[in-house]
Amino acid sequence: MSKCLPQLKIANRLHVLRAEHRITQEQLAKEVGVTRATIVAIEGGGYNPSLELAFRLARYFKTDINTIFSVEEGNK
Amino acid sequence: MKRLDSILLKVFLYGLPPVIVCAIFSYSHSPEFVNPPTGYLKLLYNFAGFILAFWMMLSLYLSVRLMVSGSFRDKVLAKVTFLRERDEREVILTGKATKTTFLTSLAILIFLFFLSAFHVFIYRVPPEKAVDGKTGAVSLGVGFSLLENPKHAKPNDTTLKKDIFSYTGLPISSTTVILVLIIWQIISYNYSMRRLTKCMEDDLLK
Repeated sequence: MSKCLPQLKIANRLHVLRAEHRITQEQLAKEVGVTRATIVAIEGGGYNPSLELAFRLARYFKTDINTIFSVEEGNK
Repeated sequence: MKRLDSILLKVFLYGLPPVIVCAIFSYSHSPEFVNPPTGYLKLLYNFAGFILAFWMMLSLYLSVRLMVSGSFRDKVLAKVTFLRERDEREVILTGKATKTTFLTSLAILIFLFFLSAFHVFIYRVPPEKAVDGKTGAVSLGVGFSLLENPKHAKPNDTTLKKDIFSYTGLPISSTTVILVLIIWQIISYNYSMRRLTKCMEDDLLK
């Protein structure tokens, strides 16, 4: 649990999808309209994106949100 | 209007060094200290006065524009305070940093309000006016005035009293208080923002 932004621990496959699509964090950030720092924070689990950004990421990778994000076991 | 504001803002900023020079020149040639300037010096003295008056009017106009125009305020003050909201994560961090700044500023204002309202006098009275054989006295008071009052309320009959300690509100000027609060707001916001960003980075390293 983050001390900075209290949140549910959500796992994501963003770095995997990014590697599959062979794009950098900078490129992905530009495509979905955020800064690279935000992509870094999402991949590291330090920041949970908004529903809107999650949909934008899913749309970019032509998949659904559940493929990218999932609640980690042990969380309520 | 936006273009005019932008031009006036540049005039205000780039005009600051000449205005400082004019102010120093006007002050050094003020009739209060030296003989009234004559000839071209008088012309220069008057010109410096006009420049200063124009810059003062400009500063008032721009500060009013900052109060009434949201877009102008966002554009100018965001740069001055290094406020960045490029995406949703920064919006959240900015919100948290702003909340911290707002609450700490409010706490400081409450503290300053009490400091400015309280009056404390510690004094000695002549032996013939002693109460129960005690010559030392403490007088406490709370004062509030809407307008600036140069004379603070002091206990009556001060002629025979010997002041030991006297506190009649904040010893610093209102201009200093305002300046300190402006600087505090900028420092507090940026410190909170750095702390939150660093905290998030530390979470990533865990």
